[in-house]
Amino acid sequence: MRIRLEHVTHAYAGSDESAAVQVLGDISLDIASGDFAVLMGASGSGKSTLLNLIGAVDKPTAGRIFLDDNETSVLDDSRLTMLRRRSIGYIFQFFNLIPTLNVFENVAFPLSLANTPRSDVKSRVAEALASVGLGNRATHFPNELSGGEMQRAAIARAVVHNPPLILADEPTGNLDSRNGEMILDLIRSIHKSRRATIVMATHSERAAAYGDYVIGVSDGRVGGVGSGGWEKEPARDHYSAPSPESVAENASTPTPHPPLPTPRKQ
Amino acid sequence: MILRALVLRPILREPLRTTLTILGIAVGVAVVVAIALSNQSALRAFSESVDAVAGRANYQIVSDVAFSEDVLRALQPFWPRGVRFAPVIDAEGIVEPSLQPIRLLGVDLLSDLHFRDYRYASVVTSGKESAATYLSLFGNDSVVVPATFAHDHGLHLGSPLILNIHGVRRTMIVRGLLEARGPATAFNGAIVIADIAVVQAAFGLEGKLTRIDLIVNDESLIPSIQRIVPPSARLERPSRRNERVEKMLRAFRVNLFALAGVALLVGMFLVYNTVLISILRRGKDVGVLKTLGTSATQVFAAFLIEGLVFGAVGSVAGIALGRGLAWVILRLIGRTINALYINSTPEAIELTPGIVAAGIAVGTILSLLSAIQPSIEAAQLRPSLLLSGTVWRRQPRRQDQTQASSPHRTQILVAIVCFVIAVLLSRLPAWNGIAVAGYVAVLFVVAGFSALAALIVTGASRLLRAPYRAAFGIVGELASASIPASLRRTSIASAALSLAIGMMVAVALMVGSFRETVRVWVDQTVSSDLWLRPAKGLSNADSALFPNAISADLARIPFIAAFDRARGRGVLYDDDRVLLASGDFAVAARFGDLPMIAPSKQSEALLNAIARNGVVVSESFSLKYNKGVGDDIALTTIHGRRSFPITGVYRDYSNDRGVVAMDRSLFIRSFDDDAISTVVIYLKPGIDRDTARRSLEATLGPKYHAFAVTNGEIRGEVMKIFDQTFLITYALLAVAIVVAVLGVINTLAALILERKRELALLRVLGMTVAQVRRMLVLESSVLGLTSTAAGLAMGYVLSWILIYVINKQSFGWTIAFHTPVRLIVTSLAVTFVASLVAGLVPSRLARRIDLAMAMKAE
Repeated sequence: MRIRLEHVTHAYAGSDESAAVQVLGDISLDIASGDFAVLMGASGSGKSTLLNLIGAVDKPTAGRIFLDDNETSVLDDSRLTMLRRRSIGYIFQFFNLIPTLNVFENVAFPLSLANTPRSDVKSRVAEALASVGLGNRATHFPNELSGGEMQRAAIARAVVHNPPLILADEPTGNLDSRNGEMILDLIRSIHKSRRATIVMATHSERAAAYGDYVIGVSDGRVGGVGSGGWEKEPARDHYSAPSPESVAENASTPTPHPPLPTPRKQ
Repeated sequence: MILRALVLRPILREPLRTTLTILGIAVGVAVVVAIALSNQSALRAFSESVDAVAGRANYQIVSDVAFSEDVLRALQPFWPRGVRFAPVIDAEGIVEPSLQPIRLLGVDLLSDLHFRDYRYASVVTSGKESAATYLSLFGNDSVVVPATFAHDHGLHLGSPLILNIHGVRRTMIVRGLLEARGPATAFNGAIVIADIAVVQAAFGLEGKLTRIDLIVNDESLIPSIQRIVPPSARLERPSRRNERVEKMLRAFRVNLFALAGVALLVGMFLVYNTVLISILRRGKDVGVLKTLGTSATQVFAAFLIEGLVFGAVGSVAGIALGRGLAWVILRLIGRTINALYINSTPEAIELTPGIVAAGIAVGTILSLLSAIQPSIEAAQLRPSLLLSGTVWRRQPRRQDQTQASSPHRTQILVAIVCFVIAVLLSRLPAWNGIAVAGYVAVLFVVAGFSALAALIVTGASRLLRAPYRAAFGIVGELASASIPASLRRTSIASAALSLAIGMMVAVALMVGSFRETVRVWVDQTVSSDLWLRPAKGLSNADSALFPNAISADLARIPFIAAFDRARGRGVLYDDDRVLLASGDFAVAARFGDLPMIAPSKQSEALLNAIARNGVVVSESFSLKYNKGVGDDIALTTIHGRRSFPITGVYRDYSNDRGVVAMDRSLFIRSFDDDAISTVVIYLKPGIDRDTARRSLEATLGPKYHAFAVTNGEIRGEVMKIFDQTFLITYALLAVAIVVAVLGVINTLAALILERKRELALLRVLGMTVAQVRRMLVLESSVLGLTSTAAGLAMGYVLSWILIYVINKQSFGWTIAFHTPVRLIVTSLAVTFVASLVAGLVPSRLARRIDLAMAMKAE
């Protein structure tokens, strides 16, 4: 699924116009179908808001957003709901599994919403769970899983309905490094096998290295686009935030339209 | 600061929750206040009438039957020693043709000024203002009426006024009007005053008195006065009458307060729930404050104050609401009190400081009590747990099944202990005529079911999961799963709703059983063809009477096979007022159908009573005084105290004070009273009832002001009084249901606010607003179904206590169990729909959920 943003601005309303807080300013982006793009920036830079706008969870204050040829910024609430239901898979930092449903039921949730036939649900959930290595945990409840397992279940839920777009917001932010790597490997392999567009927000360079390319976000603007690090050695300070200098540099050299991503090398 | 952070600000920021809680308490308090106010008003009307009529007397010689005025001569020697006395005839009767009940007070108009405060507004004069002016008042047909009464009935000086006292009809002339003070205010002004000599002459009471009012300043004289009191009379303080009436109404009042207590109890659940929810929701804030150094006591105090604030504000609102509710209740219970107990027209409702204080105390203290447990819980939690939010996480099912099994065991144990205690309590006898143990047993049953609430909610939700999934898909499954997940909040709302439904079912079963029992009883007892009454309706049965002369006229009517002349009056037995009834036992034995308890044949009991000068007593009398066939009871007759053997016990639902019935001839011999209140007529075979009725009214109507009513009309009248009596019961229960539904709305609203994140997540994952709303309404339907099921079970248990313990001990009635299916099904349907509506209200909040919230970090 191709993602296009044209001059998108987002502000949180304040008590009056002067009190409104602008989170994103005049952002234009074009992510091609099948890309694994990484939004990278410090906490508070606006990357999660950007992800919310792409994911049709929030609406921009100004500008236009297209998913393939659909302009999502003009859709009404029920069409947005249908779009999210059919075309988008979400992976959250805090997993956000439904505590009252077991792993199988959690993963089956998007299929149930889409009224998928029961027999079909069974096989697809089993397949999704097997693909994240949780085949033996189907009847467990979220609080009986480790953090890594919860995130794997969440990934299975995000992919079970084969969405053309998967959004991941700090998917490793709440995991130790070993589990974090496992999750990133998983997302990478899903990208490879399903050819879905993936947009992942992170502040970690190490995580960013798993994407095809990185879009820097700072102070509500997108900065330089670098190549993904999949073929490279991850940087030394895996979990450090970008230096103030790099943030300043990115902010001063905005790139309205990023170049097409460099092809991945394996 | 702590208070502001944890309590005051949140109270203001969550107006819906705050309003619902305050409303819940207010309604509970309002019901109690309203019942207290209306009871007070009804009783005050009576006691003020007694006081106004008694005037300044501090003692009275009173009797249930008229006694000889010779006693006045015996009192003369006490006059020099400061004792003042005034002879009185105090009789009930009716005004014709309006049939309004009236009190006739015959007094010595000259000497009575020592006792009562009269002021004449106007009198018929001879034209010259002189000492002789008032002589017209002593004319042999003169009466004085309050000016208000005259105004209401279009009477003027010189107007005729037809009085029927004890069956004697006389046309009197209004010769004086009284200002509204003293006795003129008694009985709401429905009083006629005349000189005692005039009353004695006009109504066949020559030489008789019903009362002597006394002012005795020297208490040491009382024993000597006691010695001259005739055997049929007694010396007592006027206040004894009020005390007796209060005692008579006690069981009735306790019952009303117990019902009001249900509304209050439901209100308590609401406060408990609200405070608990505040603590659950503000767990993190508590954690922060504790980390910063707030002590456990401060946290405890802060949440306790929250309960206090709700209680105080709710109580004040409740008092205002109760003031308005009181007049509705007054109209409902006023009718019952008039129909079953005393003639009294309730006066205006007065909010006394005592009732205000009691209302505030009840609301505030109960709120405080309900806030204690959750406040302790908040105070004891460790800040680290609070901060991490882990303790507040919802409990998934697996945990319920394994780790939670021991709390479940405790809950079951607590419930079993409660039920065992309830069973033991229900076997205890009444205390002072009040089924105290029975009421406490009800509390234990409620406690038992409340302990099981969590278990019932979990079990029911699990049972509902499959059908909900089948019917509503994933939305239904989520709904059934989420109720047990938030057990701590939902089980309390469910317990409150179950309690309200349980009480409703219990009372519906009790009233339904009672109604069916009475219907069967009325069908059996009202078997005669026609009843002849001096007034329409049953409520003024004591005031309207036929003279005995009607007997001769009846005997001449060819189509009558037999007639049974009934007359009842209140007498004292064991210092309680019971009903003494009389009738023609020989006729009743042949034609009647008295439902007997012992012996089984009514003719044996009645004929034995005639032969042995005995009495038959009602079941309530027999139970209340523990008297049965073979025992003797002593009653004060005109000849003094006499003993009467009991020859039978029969079933009766007309009177909870107890009835003693004797043959008419014995009654006349014992009480010198041959008036008749009702004639029960049996027609010869083949006589058309309507023809007979018309003929009777044509022959006896003009002479005796007689109405003939068919047995069907009498039955209808009895059932009407019955239904009126229990109207208040239903009204109070409806209030309890309203409070409980408020609780469910409150809980669901709180749950939604708390689950904003979870609901946002569901929306992000593709659920529509409509689906989220449907899920929330389905959740409340789970609560509704669970509570209805638990309430139904509780209702059957409680109805057993109500019917076999409380009712029997309070009123002495045996009731056959009967399920009024339609009533129960309808009320359950209503409460279930109400719980669905309770879900609709907060589900509107779902529309306002901010989706981006789900994406945010915790």
